[in-house]
Amino acid sequence: MPKTNSMLYHRAETSKWRLGILTALFLLMSAPVVRGEAPTQASTVDELIKMFDSSSCKECHEKIYEQWEKSHHARPLIGMDDMMLLTQYLKRVARPDKPADQAVKSDFPCFKCHFPQIKYGTDAVAGEIARAMINGDKATIRKLNIGCLVCHNEKAVVHGHPEKNVVYGNKDIPDHEGHPVKKSPLLKNSLLCGQCHGLGPVLDSADMPVQCATLYGSYLHAYIPSGGSKTCQECHMKGGDHYMPPDFNKRDDLSARLRESLPIEVETLPYTFRAPDEKLPMVVVKTKITSKAGHRIPDG
Amino acid sequence: MTASSPDGKKIFETSRIYTSQATDSRGTQMVLGPENKLGLIRDTSIQPFAPKEESIEVPLPAGLRDAVIEVDLTYRPRPGNVYPIHKVVRKVSLDQTR
Repeated sequence: MPKTNSMLYHRAETSKWRLGILTALFLLMSAPVVRGEAPTQASTVDELIKMFDSSSCKECHEKIYEQWEKSHHARPLIGMDDMMLLTQYLKRVARPDKPADQAVKSDFPCFKCHFPQIKYGTDAVAGEIARAMINGDKATIRKLNIGCLVCHNEKAVVHGHPEKNVVYGNKDIPDHEGHPVKKSPLLKNSLLCGQCHGLGPVLDSADMPVQCATLYGSYLHAYIPSGGSKTCQECHMKGGDHYMPPDFNKRDDLSARLRESLPIEVETLPYTFRAPDEKLPMVVVKTKITSKAGHRIPDG
Repeated sequence: MTASSPDGKKIFETSRIYTSQATDSRGTQMVLGPENKLGLIRDTSIQPFAPKEESIEVPLPAGLRDAVIEVDLTYRPRPGNVYPIHKVVRKVSLDQTR
């Protein structure tokens, strides 16, 4: 039976319907992929702190939690001698001609390492933090820390993304109380630390390139090529200790640690050199400092 | 490093600075602070597996045959903030037999 125009039209219309249905189905099925899992954005400091609240870990991991509480990771925005790190930077560098208390996220490139959770906060959170800094509100600034969930979730996976509501550890514990624990081999790899402890210039922001720590770069390009084989964790988290020395506020401890890391030899040779026209009494002092560290000293 | 006469008078002083040194990559002046540094221009810091050796000649004034040599190694993250690491004191004499 020959095809008529009406049949062709009907066939075309039917095809359009099928195409439309298929398209709709494709869109519905692909919606989770297309939309992705956009992280929830906190609009206040308290909301953001709550998103990364690790205080419940203390119930079962008390010793580790107490070690961490004494570490610099528990106070990444408070420097040596209880000084707030970024207040002067904010006033003099980031916003010298604009109200510092209206800072936005892009004014804080340092947060990439000192407070990576800001990724899940809006500019309003940055403004709130800026006002706390300007007002000398250390109580608020002290609440901003590199807690358990930063290393054991946010930074624990680099091949892909960490799963929400999963804590990463050294083994799988699917029935772990509160949330499942999944193994991430990164936790014992220096790259975990290297994500923040620096390769060199950070050029994420055209307005504010920065360079803070270069420690990991030194580890990769000086220590490893020279035959080093230890990880950051093996030296700075012996036995899983989350205190992670050095502590720059414990002056005697830091001096002792540097003394052990940098043994020195001193030799002296007193003698008289006989030049053609004169005698030159002198002491030749030879010093030799050897480093046992896995990176340059000093660095950060 | 200092050298002094036996009665404490300083006769010589020198120092070495071990640190990585950065510019802002727009000039040759060394800069400080994470907001200024970009890259490195020189690195005299103490490197892993690369001992830092110095040989310093301390001239002795005429007539002085004894001296006290003091070698100090310190960490100074900020002006006035000094963490002592090593202090080595040696008494030397041109009259030592070798």
